[in-house]
Formats: sequence, structure tokens, C-alpha cells
Amino acid sequence: MSGLTVDGLTVHYGGICAVRSVSFAVGSGESVGIIGANGAGKTSTLKAVMGLVPRSGSVRLGDQDLTGVRAKDMVRHGVGYVPEGRHVFAGLSVEKNLLLGAYAHSWRGETRTTLAQVYEMFPVLAQMRGRLAGALSGGQQQMLAIGRALMLRPRLLLLDEPSMGLSPKLIEDILRVLLRLREEGLSLLLVEQNAKLTFGATSTCFVLENGEVALTGSSQQLRHDPRIRRVYLGL
Amino acid sequence: MRYRLAALASLAVFAIWLPYGVGSYTIHVLDVGLVFALLAVGMGLAMGVAGQINLAQVAFFGAGAYVTAILTTKSGYGFWTAGAIAVAVSAVLGLLVGIPALRMQSHYLGIVTLGLALAFLNWITNAEVAGGADGISAIPVPPLFGVDLSSDYLYYYLELAAFAVALAFGLFVVHTSLGRRLRAMRDDALAASAVGAQIPLLRMTAFLVAGSYAGIAGVLYAGLIRFVAPETFSLANMFLLLAMVIIGGRQSLVGCVVGAIGLTLIREKLVDFATYAQLSYGIVVVLMVVFAPTGLAGVPARLRSIVDRRRRGGGAAAPELAAFQPLAPSTVDLPADRPALEARGVSKRFRGLKALDGVSLAVRAGDIHGIVGPNGSGKTTLFNVVSGFYRPSAGAVLISGQPAGRAGPYQRSLSGVARTFQNLRLFRTLTVRENILVALDRTRTRWIWRYPLWPVSVVRAERDLGRRAAELLDTFGLAGFAAALPGSLPYGTQRRIELARAMAGAPRLLLLDEPAAGLNGEEARQLARMVRSIRDSGVTVVLIEHNMGLVMSLCDRVTVLASGAVIADGTPAEVAAAPAVIEAYLGDAELSEEMAP
Amino acid sequence: MQVTLQTLVGGLSLGAIYALVALGFSLVYRTMGLVNFAHADVVMTGAYVASTFSLTARLPFALATAVAIAVTGLIGLVIERVLRPLENKDFDLMLIGTIGFGIVLQSVAILIWGTTGRAVPSPVQTAPLSVGGIRIRTYDLVVMAVAAVAVVLLMLFLQRTKRGTAMQAVAMDHEAATAVGIHVGRSNAAAFAIGAGLAALAGALVGPLLFVSPTMGGSLGIKGFAAAILGGFGSIPGAIVGGLAIGVLDSFAAGHFQGYSEMVVFLVFTAIIMVRPTGIFGERTVSRA
Repeated sequence: MSGLTVDGLTVHYGGICAVRSVSFAVGSGESVGIIGANGAGKTSTLKAVMGLVPRSGSVRLGDQDLTGVRAKDMVRHGVGYVPEGRHVFAGLSVEKNLLLGAYAHSWRGETRTTLAQVYEMFPVLAQMRGRLAGALSGGQQQMLAIGRALMLRPRLLLLDEPSMGLSPKLIEDILRVLLRLREEGLSLLLVEQNAKLTFGATSTCFVLENGEVALTGSSQQLRHDPRIRRVYLGL
Repeated sequence: MRYRLAALASLAVFAIWLPYGVGSYTIHVLDVGLVFALLAVGMGLAMGVAGQINLAQVAFFGAGAYVTAILTTKSGYGFWTAGAIAVAVSAVLGLLVGIPALRMQSHYLGIVTLGLALAFLNWITNAEVAGGADGISAIPVPPLFGVDLSSDYLYYYLELAAFAVALAFGLFVVHTSLGRRLRAMRDDALAASAVGAQIPLLRMTAFLVAGSYAGIAGVLYAGLIRFVAPETFSLANMFLLLAMVIIGGRQSLVGCVVGAIGLTLIREKLVDFATYAQLSYGIVVVLMVVFAPTGLAGVPARLRSIVDRRRRGGGAAAPELAAFQPLAPSTVDLPADRPALEARGVSKRFRGLKALDGVSLAVRAGDIHGIVGPNGSGKTTLFNVVSGFYRPSAGAVLISGQPAGRAGPYQRSLSGVARTFQNLRLFRTLTVRENILVALDRTRTRWIWRYPLWPVSVVRAERDLGRRAAELLDTFGLAGFAAALPGSLPYGTQRRIELARAMAGAPRLLLLDEPAAGLNGEEARQLARMVRSIRDSGVTVVLIEHNMGLVMSLCDRVTVLASGAVIADGTPAEVAAAPAVIEAYLGDAELSEEMAP
Repeated sequence: MQVTLQTLVGGLSLGAIYALVALGFSLVYRTMGLVNFAHADVVMTGAYVASTFSLTARLPFALATAVAIAVTGLIGLVIERVLRPLENKDFDLMLIGTIGFGIVLQSVAILIWGTTGRAVPSPVQTAPLSVGGIRIRTYDLVVMAVAAVAVVLLMLFLQRTKRGTAMQAVAMDHEAATAVGIHVGRSNAAAFAIGAGLAALAGALVGPLLFVSPTMGGSLGIKGFAAAILGGFGSIPGAIVGGLAIGVLDSFAAGHFQGYSEMVVFLVFTAIIMVRPTGIFGERTVSRA
């Protein structure tokens, strides 16, 4: 298995156990979704994989053991991260934001080629390249955050609730981007509250409840599963 | 307790006997040390207890000394009259310097107070009436019934008396309701205002007290040295005072005293190596700040916790959460005509981001009302508007039919609104019991005047508060944790403490922000029981929650927010079936049809 | 009118110094949220080191200044490293920690150079210029020119280089910065070192203008701090505007109130800050959510 393997991931903070020994895998070129209600531990799981919060358990990418790797070094191992709430650098221009995605490399040569490719995938970013990121709309910022994460040509892309605060039309656009990334062979790990988006963009889904995996299966099957509604709405 | 009295008595005997055993040079140094001890206590009250950065303490000190000097040498006032006026002037100066504290904190306050200290220094160096760089000399000896106070030995007793009274008063303040409110303000001003602490007045009070103590120190200094000059009130001495307070432990008044007297003695011992002494103060301050922020005074507590931890490892039992005692059900009928809480078209913008968009809802008196919605839908913003932390950009909030208007959290707390917070906001350095005591205290801030004028009433109030706290702790099963610090306790226990603290204010409207977050199944069930009991005792409860199972089983009515607007409002069953709600959560209303059993 | 213009011009060179000091404060505050009360004593250290190398070692002024910047840069790195554990936790304690470092720097200065201080001759010995009846000392022009160059270099660094852009990014969102591979701790250390370097430059330049003594940091540093806050703490243009404003205010106060000028400056500052606590351009710092 040359993809991501997570085993027994556990996250504690503020006295709570947010993630209780969660295990899952993302095959090479596969896209996997993690869904669940708020407070279920989805974002904590993703942050733990990225090393942004203290964790126990093991994380492997291909044959590399990433368990001890610190967050700032994850990019160098081919992991791209799109944070919840975008977190673009509001006071810097779109182009600077994208270039910072390639911080770990030189900004000449290959980086410039990748930049051109990102602009081609997201024409709206090319149009706004000189504007301050803080002036972009929510949907445009989401595109920027994804573009930034692509600048180092990652093998695995982690996305945290990209649909948050976006209208249904924009969510459609995000879905199209994710499908295109799938076509290009990128592995995706998508954390979402929006079940519809996730079922459309992924092949396998894990449903988290209270920090544990409650359901798992192919997205096609889970789509019709009445238990999903209970997890979300309690009834 | 008996140990304490014995220790206190022997300390008193030692202090009274001390002058007989030391030479004239040492007693002079001790006299100066006592003056600095007074200054340090005042500074500790402002900085350590109330959390207000006060770098102007040396200016208040100077004001007390200079006013005494000027009035006695230039205007012919008697020493004690001049002294009384001097203390009043320092106190007023403290109050004036406290005004910036209303609008800013931390480093801003630091630079403003430091700047004012420099301004004062500049004035006394230039003003003719202050004698310029030469200062004022020949201040008369304070008269005291024929006792010759020009003797440093006898002056010691005068200072000792003043110091003992001042320290006792300081300790009295710290351990009673005013001190608790100041400490709560220091730990978390936001949460403190939500339990009835009037932050602006409390900040002014801290500076007033610091100024008064410094004024008294200044008068004593003028009477001791009988010469005042700008060098004594320089920035170097301000930083020395700061070092005393930090090294001693700014949160403990006794620590401040130890730091002051200790450093004064060391400074005298090292007077030939003054610069090396200064260098070591600087180094010690840096080391303390990084490794021992509670100073020397914090050492016993840290040793105790190490001993405790070792003892605990040997099998001593940890305290346990006891069962919740249901509250007495209310016998009074709640008004059925007025909603307990009503929002009319409430909007809130933050710099272009619309967090709330025309939210209207009504909560019936005596209901348990749930507020739910996806991430970022504005739920906590709504709570912040209702509890007075934010002012709405449009619309109005009515509590029990009365418009809340521009009332801040303090006023809303006093009119019966209590809340808990999404990320626990307990007062970290106060014990569980003290956390409850702060919230139980429903007195207005103007009752501060009881302290100097009628302290007996404060003692009586303390006893009453203590009794009520014990009852509340028993009700919530927290009696075993009364003396513990909240930070060391399990998460579920901390949640319960916050709930108990909110109920301590005897509210009519209780706002709970994600009370079940991080609780396991059993704890969530206990929470539900407590909330039902609270409602039965006559309190209207509004709660934000993500745990849908809890919401559906507990709430009478539910309002659903999405992107800052209300998309559904009704009984749990109605709301769960509404297509708009399913769409908001799952992303597609059609999914619900596909999932119909 | 003549007098007013003369006073104005006189205030500009000292104002340029205050602007440099304010820049150092603001850069560190903006990137780390740390208020460095030792900054003033770093200025003093810079003044002493530069004047020592130019007077005793007979180095040209520019080289002596460079040495001073290097030395204080190192001091800045030490301070940041020692106080790093407090970085996002207790703000007030960090502040007090820097005060402690200030005391240390002052004591060391006294131990090395004594308490009496020294007068530093101006490196530019030409006659003052006369423009439209207003006297401008050549050295004042040198100070303003050097300060302007420093500001331009700083802006170029922050906006045109990879590390400078990263430093700005860390200030805006340090978690996102970590996620793109930026070492936040090292970036902060660099910011601190640059801030210290700016302080040293200010100190080296101010030597010939004021008297160099171990306590010179007091008034100079506090006015620089006030300038940073006046312009909007953390804002680079704010530091410059604030510095010049305080310099001019200082000049006018000295002209009208002589000895009481400091008192006037601080009272005016307090009044302005009360009205607009975040300063002219508004405060900019790390979000400490």
C-alpha cells in the first residue's frame, strides 16, 4: 500500500479525548472522506495527521514513517494541507500566498512552472493575482487555499471542510476541482460536514461520532444508508 | 490554625524586639526596607492581585514624599496634616493614572504608566517649588506626643505600626469579596464581568489603592530621611521595585514584603558592588519569569504539589464527583405572556462579515430551548449579543419583556442572565470554592466603601457567602473539590463547576454554550438531568449544542441557524424533518428522501 | 514662521531616530506579539559599541555602526531564545522578562564603560547648510538619509524576499505558516535580531546628537515606544509617522516649555492614546486566538 495509513490515532486536548484510536487508510490515487456532525472529531483527526496537534498512534505515507515528523516538515514529505476556514494570508497578495505554498523550495525554476499550472486550473486566481487575499470572496479564498497547497506537487492532499460558509453553487465548483485533482492522480483525504459533497468526491467514507469511527463503507452505499441521518440529526 | 497564630505571635515578638539587637546602620536600612515593603504591597495589590500593569508606582511614592516636603517646608503645615494631604494627593493621582486603564491594558498600560512616571520625574527635576535637582531638605521631624522620632529606632516602631495595619488591610482585601473579584478580573475579565464584576470600577480601585499605599510610604520616607530629591524616584528605582515584587511573588502580599525587605538588605550588603547587584537582580528576574513565575512565594505551593503527587502515588484517594442533588422545584408560576428571551431582527456585522442576519426568535419562560446549526452559523455570536458582550448592528434583544438596550455583561448579570462558555472560562488561580464565591456575590461595586468605613459588615457577608457556597457545592456534588484549583480537575468536573458558578448568580435565564462538548454518554445523561432540574426550579434554559441526540431528547423547542439566519423553529421533531435543515447539515434535501426508512 | 520652521526641521532628525527605534519595536510586536521593554537598552548598547569602535579602535563610523548592529543582533537572538517558552502564553510575564533583560544590559554597560558616559563627536565636520534662512546641520541630513535607507531596505526585505514574506505570513497566521513549512521559531528569532539591529543603528546615529550614557535608553526608548504606539503598534508606516510626530512634538515642547518638555510630550501622548488607543494606523499584530 503506497498511500496513507493511519493506525490508532488518538488526540487529547483541554482534558477531552477528541479522537479515540481511529484507524483508516487512503490508497495511492484514492480519495477518502471523513464525515460526521460537529464535535465528532473530524478536524482534530486531520490536524493530527498533519502534526498540528499532539497525537499518539502511527501515521505512514507509503513506506515512510511520518509519526515523528513535525508539522512544518510535512510539506517536504509530499503532504499538502488546506485548513478549515481557509486561513489565507490576508495581508499578502494572491501570488505571494501561492508562492508561500512553495516555501520549502526555491521560488525560481520549477516553482514558476507549477504556479502557471495552478493559474490555469483556477483562472479566477490568475485574474486576481495582485489583489490582497483578504479582499477575495469566500469561494475565491477557498480556491486560493487549495492552490497554495498544490504548489509543492503533493502526493496527498488534506482538505478540512472546504464547503464551510459557501453557497451550493460554489460547493459545486469545489466538487469539480476535487474531481479534476482525482483525475490527475492525487490522493485526497476530505474532512467534511456536507455529506453530499463528500459522497460525490470520494470513493470511500468513514463516519465519525464522538471521536470514533461509527460507520464505514463505499460512498455509493453510504449515500442510501438511513443511519447517516441519525448521526447528523439525532432522529 | 493554631500553628498560624503561634507563628504570627512569634513574628510579632521578633519584630518588636529587633531594634534592641541591631546597630544604628542596620536599623536605618530596615526603616528604608519597611518603606519599600509598603510600596511593594501596594504594587502587588495592583499588579499581582488585580493584574494591572502599574509602572508609575514610584511616581505615586514621589508625590507622597514631595507634597509632604513642600507643605511642611514651604507652607508651614504641621507634619501630620501635610502627610494626610499627601496621601490624598497620591490616591487621587493613582485614580487619574487609572483612567487610561479603562481603555487599555497590558503593554499600552505599561507604556502610559511609565510615561507618566517620567513626566512626574521631569516635573520635580525642574519645578522651583520642588527644589529642582537639589530637592528639598530640612523637613521637620514628625511630632508624636514628645517621642523623639528623629531616632531611627523609635521611627522603626512608627513604621512597623503603619506597615502592620497596611499589610493586614491588604490581606483582608485579598481574602474577601473585593480581592476575589480583583483576582477573577485578572484571570479572565470577560468571565468576571459575566458573573457581576464591574471591570472599569475595579481597575480604578486597584490604582487608587496602589496610589494610597505609595502615598503612605512617601510620607513615612519624608519623615525618615527628611530630605527628598529626584534620584530616589528614578526609573532605576521603579525597576528595582518591580524586581522586588517579581522575585517575592507578585500575587502574594507576603511575598512582596519578603522581596522588598530582602532586596533592600542585599542592596545594602552589596553597596560596594552596586552594579553587580543590579546585574544579578536583572538575571534573577529573567530566570524567575521563565522558571518560577509565582516567585519565592510560590515555592511552598509547588513543593506541596510535588509532595501531594508523591503521596497520591502511594494510594491516597483522589476526591470524587458526588451525585447532583435535584433543586427544589419552583412553586411560582412563570409569566406566560412574556417570553423569557426575545430577539427581534438581530443582525451583527464584523468588518463586512455578516455573522447574524435578521435573527428573530422567542423563548417561552420555563422552556428548555435549543439553538443548533452547522459550523459558523452564528450561534455563539447570538449568545454574545444576548449576554451583552456584543452590541447588535441592528435589531433588539428583550429579556423578560424589557429591552436590554446597551447594558453590558455586568448589568445583565445583575438582572438575571447567566452563561457558560464554549471554551471553559474558569478562574484558574482561584479554588473551586472561590470561583463559586465570586459568582454568589451579588453586591454592587459601590459596596467597596464598606472596606475602609465598615469592615465588620464585610466579615459578616463573608460568613453568609461561605454558607451559601457550601450549599451550592453540595447541590452540584462538588464538595470534595472545594479547595482544588480547577485546572487540575477532570474535564467533566470542570464543566460542572462552570454550571454551578453560573447558577450561583440565581439567574432567571441561563445560557449554556455547548455544555456537552467532550462529555461521554453517561456524563451527557447527568447533564440532561441537571438541566431538567434547573428548569423545574424556575429557570429558563437556552442551550447551544452539537450533540443532536441530547438536543432532541432534552429541548422543548429548537431554533436552527445557518449562515447567520434562522432557517427553522419549532419542536425537535418538526425541525428534524424540515428540508431546509437537512440541506444545511447534509448538503442535500433529497438525501432525506433516499434515506427514509 | 521662521522659528516654527526651524523648530520643525530641528525635530525631524531626532524624529528619524525615534522612527528607527519605533520600527524595531513595531517589527517585533507585529511578528511575535512581544513588547520588548529591553529595546531601549539595546539602543544604548548600540550607541556604546559604535562609539567605542569609532573612538577607540578608530574605525570609520559606518563600519563601527555595522559592528554594533552585528553585536546587538546577537543579543536579540539570545533574548528571543530565552523568552521563547513564554511566547504565546503569558504576555505580561514576557513583558516583565524583557524589563529584566533591560536591567542586565544596563548593568553590563556600567561595568564595561562606567557611569559617566561620553560625548561622541559628529563624524561629519562640515559647516551647517542654510536653506531659506533655516539652519540645517549636515549631520542631521546624514541621520535622516541613513534612516530612510534603512526603512527602504526593511520594506524591500519584507516585501520582495522569500524570508521577508514568510516573516509577514507568520505574523498573520502562524498555524497556516507552519503548514506551508515555515519554521516559526526561527522566523521570530530573525525578526527579533532585525529589530535589535535597527535599535543599534538608532543608537549609533544618536551618539553625536545626544550624550551617550547608560541611562540614555530611558527617555529615548520610551519616546520611541510611544512613537510606535502613536502610529499604530505593529504598523511600519505608523512607526515612521509616529517617530517623526514625536520628534517634532519634542522639538516644540523644548522650545516652549524648556525643562518641562518631557512632561508635555507624555501628557500629549497620553491624551491622544486615550482618544484613539490603537494609534493612527491601527494596531497590527499576531492573532492570539
